[in-house]
Amino acid sequence: MDYRKFVDLIPVPKWETLSDKFIDFILTSKNDEKMPSQLANAILYCWQQDTLKSEYGLTALLEGALLLEPEKTLNAFQELQMANIAEQIKESMQS
Amino acid sequence: MVKFGIEFVPREPYWRIMYYAIQAEKGGFSNLWITDHFNNRNVYVTLTTAAIYTNKITFGPGVTNPYMVNPVFTAQAIATLNELAPGRVALGMGAGDKTTLDTVGVEMDKPLLAVQESIDIIRKIVSGETVAYQGEVFKTAGAKFLFKPRGQIPVYVGAQGPKMLALAGKIGDGVLINACHPKDVEYAVSCVKEGVNAAGKKFSEIDVAAYTSFSVHEDIKKANKAAVPVVSFIVAGSPPQLLERHGIDVKKAEEIKEALKANDWGRAFNGVTPEMIAAFSVCGTPEMCIERIAQLLKSGISQFVVGSPIGANVREAINLISQKIIPTFQT
Repeated sequence: MDYRKFVDLIPVPKWETLSDKFIDFILTSKNDEKMPSQLANAILYCWQQDTLKSEYGLTALLEGALLLEPEKTLNAFQELQMANIAEQIKESMQS
Repeated sequence: MVKFGIEFVPREPYWRIMYYAIQAEKGGFSNLWITDHFNNRNVYVTLTTAAIYTNKITFGPGVTNPYMVNPVFTAQAIATLNELAPGRVALGMGAGDKTTLDTVGVEMDKPLLAVQESIDIIRKIVSGETVAYQGEVFKTAGAKFLFKPRGQIPVYVGAQGPKMLALAGKIGDGVLINACHPKDVEYAVSCVKEGVNAAGKKFSEIDVAAYTSFSVHEDIKKANKAAVPVVSFIVAGSPPQLLERHGIDVKKAEEIKEALKANDWGRAFNGVTPEMIAAFSVCGTPEMCIERIAQLLKSGISQFVVGSPIGANVREAINLISQKIIPTFQT
């Protein structure tokens, strides 16, 4: 899935809120085993460099959140009035 | 000025612990301690990751023991870490946990001597010496690294009983006191001071840490709820004298122990009383935790370690500690 494509659809003012939500989903998830180590390392690198709210950081977080907590992640888009993006992600996940 | 340390148990995947470690470093913590139990992920692999993802925090095993890990191996591991993160490594060494050692059939023989001799061997070999050591517990015949270690690493002794606390004061660069209540910490510090005096050192030369079970939340009920499981295990493992010192009914503690043995978590956790939480954890709202830490500081500790569970939501708890608690003690 092209996660970057979906991040580009998100209005920039919402990046910070979403980044925060995705971090929470990932850290509190019980689905640890679904996190690929390469992705985890990318997220940690961004966190270390304070770039989790950047396009690259948010892309990594979106991927992690969708792998570990797909339902919560899609709901977050809906809560933030981005149901259209949630729909597009859902379609992409099903194809 | 008091330092703040944080403890993590590598039962969690490395990436979660590293997220929190980076957060702790950014939030003003000075020490990161990783527990060492064979049934969790490996402590040195976790610490190596910490060396890579952090820049200034001091880190180390908190604590390892000389029974499961031979002292020369511990020396090798910390000396190698000290190459990866020079000057940022500390070693926590204790006698270990009897229940865990029993599980793997390792006898906890002469714990005071084992800790003392292992630290002796580690310090010698880390300083580049060839070590021929004839101890009662450990013996080496010309052990030496084939690489040049980067110098000494501070050794903290993990201690709870009076003799180990005195030994810690005598030989340690630091002490990790396993206690949460001001009465217990005050007593522990007095034992440490005996050892310090016996060695002709100054108390201010060593870093004395209260290694606590900690839980913070703006909602006290949530803080308590998170603390209950950890407190139940502490109560179950505490000797009757310690329970009585805090006015805790030994019978109730026995019931919790039985429930835990039977994996009846609900019964065990329901048996935990507010008195038990107060005795065996630092728990509450940020304001309540600040008050308790201030009490502990009066006994002379120089480092306060927040240990498991830290809070109902660890990320939020670290933020609360960094934003509300640490700054209170830095002014």
